[in-house]
Amino acid sequence: MDGIRMIVHIGILYLFYYAGVWIQETLNTVIPGSIIGMLLLLLFFYAKLVKPALIEKGANLLLSHMPLLFLPVTAGVMAHFSLFAGKGLILAVIAYISTLIVMLTAGWTAQWLVRRRESDG
Amino acid sequence: MDEWGIALPAIIGTVAVYYGSRVLYKRFPFPFLLPIVTGTAVIVLFLAAAGISYPAYMIGGKWIEHLLGPAVVALAIPLYKQREVLKMYAVPVMGGVTAGAAAGILSGYFPAKWAGIEENLIAAVLPKSVTTPVAMEVSASTGGAPALAAVFVMVAGIGGVVSAAAFFKWCGIRHELARGIALGSASHAIGTAKALENGEREGTASSVAMTLSAVLISVLIPSLAFILF
Repeated sequence: MDGIRMIVHIGILYLFYYAGVWIQETLNTVIPGSIIGMLLLLLFFYAKLVKPALIEKGANLLLSHMPLLFLPVTAGVMAHFSLFAGKGLILAVIAYISTLIVMLTAGWTAQWLVRRRESDG
Repeated sequence: MDEWGIALPAIIGTVAVYYGSRVLYKRFPFPFLLPIVTGTAVIVLFLAAAGISYPAYMIGGKWIEHLLGPAVVALAIPLYKQREVLKMYAVPVMGGVTAGAAAGILSGYFPAKWAGIEENLIAAVLPKSVTTPVAMEVSASTGGAPALAAVFVMVAGIGGVVSAAAFFKWCGIRHELARGIALGSASHAIGTAKALENGEREGTASSVAMTLSAVLISVLIPSLAFILF
């Protein structure tokens, strides 16, 4: 039963995903269909048209194994190995350091604002 | 049917590699043994050793990749469950994400410019902190190669999750919301997958940060392109 329920839940998530893709294509925007689908589902939750329980089993399965879903994509760097020579390597180092700078800036700013908020209340 | 002869082993093999690397990580929980790192390495090495091309592997791999769409949609659940927390911390979330997006563009652009790198290559690095499809589109819209952009997205994703634990400790980022916002802003969905493992609140903060930053960066970079390039 649980297996069938999961498949149905994932099927419902696919409906929202394809609705999102359709909206993206219609509006011709760079925001990906999956993110539009997520916002759409959130809207349905708020409007009480869909209950989280209707999709929770399938959603939890996907969310708890998200790293698996990335493996085929990350393995794709293989197709671009030659890029990591010369300028590509410099850029990869810049990309990595810049990633740490983003973490630092976003994390510190958020933490500072959170603490300010908590000391207010 | 011939296609399934390639697809099935690729799918089963990928799932097996994933489970193996999870078991390994549970036993030895070091950041550089995260399933995304060891799993990627094993697949890349196996394909190279067996002489299988990436497009051939993707005949099966695409079925796994395809589930990323509904998985991103599924993030609506933690977002909805944590809606009260998000409402309360709307300002820190917005502030953190905006500061992170600006820092990411500046710290990617200027060092590359000073290193004398061509503009079409720089254009591929700038959107590295957003999820792959957005990064590819943004890169293309500013003259960068989409495939190259996808590689830097992986550098930001894997580099970010591997460094996060030690880096947060080192620079004193302790609050779970701040950690989530930092992971989602810097390392998109790969960071969010990691944040979800750390807890529902951290995962929620990360999914919100990832979404906001995708929207912000897809507006910011094309608008700044006139000045930058």
